[in-house]
Amino acid sequence: MPGYYDISDILMEDEAVSVAFHVGANGVGLLDPGTETNSVEKGAKIDLPFWLAHELCRRRAVSITIPSCFGQKMKKDVQADAACVDLGTRYPYFYEFGCKLFPLVGDKSIGLFLRHTFANRYKEMLSKSHTASLNAIPKFVLRLSKEEYQLFEAARSSMVEFKKWRVRDLGLMKTTIVGHKRKTDLH
Amino acid sequence: MAGQTDHSLSIFSAAEVEFIAEDEMIEIVPNIRMDALNLLCGDFGPFLPQIPCTVPLWLAVALKKRGKCSIRTPDWMSVEKLTQVLEAERESPREFQPLPFHYVEISRLLLDHAHDDIPEVYMVRSLIEDIRNVRFHKVESGLETISGRTHAVKLKNLSAMEVNVVRPFMARVLQAFYKHDSPEMVQQADTSASKRPQVVDRGPRVSLSCVTC
Repeated sequence: MPGYYDISDILMEDEAVSVAFHVGANGVGLLDPGTETNSVEKGAKIDLPFWLAHELCRRRAVSITIPSCFGQKMKKDVQADAACVDLGTRYPYFYEFGCKLFPLVGDKSIGLFLRHTFANRYKEMLSKSHTASLNAIPKFVLRLSKEEYQLFEAARSSMVEFKKWRVRDLGLMKTTIVGHKRKTDLH
Repeated sequence: MAGQTDHSLSIFSAAEVEFIAEDEMIEIVPNIRMDALNLLCGDFGPFLPQIPCTVPLWLAVALKKRGKCSIRTPDWMSVEKLTQVLEAERESPREFQPLPFHYVEISRLLLDHAHDDIPEVYMVRSLIEDIRNVRFHKVESGLETISGRTHAVKLKNLSAMEVNVVRPFMARVLQAFYKHDSPEMVQQADTSASKRPQVVDRGPRVSLSCVTC
């Protein structure tokens, strides 16, 4: 499995999903805080970490319900303005999670939704990431998911390195490089 | 996803690209007499005062620093040529003008070390800055048109340093789009057919020559 040793994959699989049990399970009453006996009833709705839910789903012991991050409210938010949706704090593993979840759940529209979100946010990110400077962290960075943040970092670090190289030896002559202010430049 | 934390998409550092650029040949006019230099990369003939000869850029800069020569500006670095290039860049929103592959690095080295050999050095410096900015903005606007169906992105006439700056970002973006698109392609076979003509006649095709490094 390609993501087995990947730390962000491991962290991502810790997200909780709500599942409904098809079968009763003995000895794992720990999972359901509401039971008195040490077992889980058939038909109970419980929150499990994704790695557990994934395995149980393969064995057809549970069925996964779509978490709220792919629900109707989110779709409305994205339609309104994709770039302003705050994925950084609420769902940092938005895209990875969606890709893993996609084959397990019956809803086929998640894939389209993910791509649509990504395409819209990407356009906004593009110009800002290249012109951002080293010290100032623009506010929109906090809204990026982990994957988008890596894109942003890649662009920003290469741009910053290039700028450093350019003024490397100039010393006192730094002021002779006068750039025109462009509307895409961030302060 | 494994592809996103793939550190083999590392870039050359800017200094490394500059190092490669220093192999370009340039004309100098020595002011000393020196015997021929027989180096691994070639033989550079006996240096006689006031007789111009062609040497690699690193050698030219080394000699210049010791005050043993003066560097002759390459043709493309004259004010007229650069103004022409800048006008042409501003007029064509999709194409890049042909410039030497290492123009950024060469111009920087010459402007730093040989600024007394270049006529109208401030003008040249600001023209090159403007050209660089315009080209970079073109790259950005070209990148905006990447959709999921892009297999390769072709950027004709882009210089080494510019490619180096966008390489990690572009490679990651293409991977991300590819990842998001592949399983859904089966489902949206009907809607994507209408998108296909739009992909074909899009302006500059941006080539993945950077990713193969």
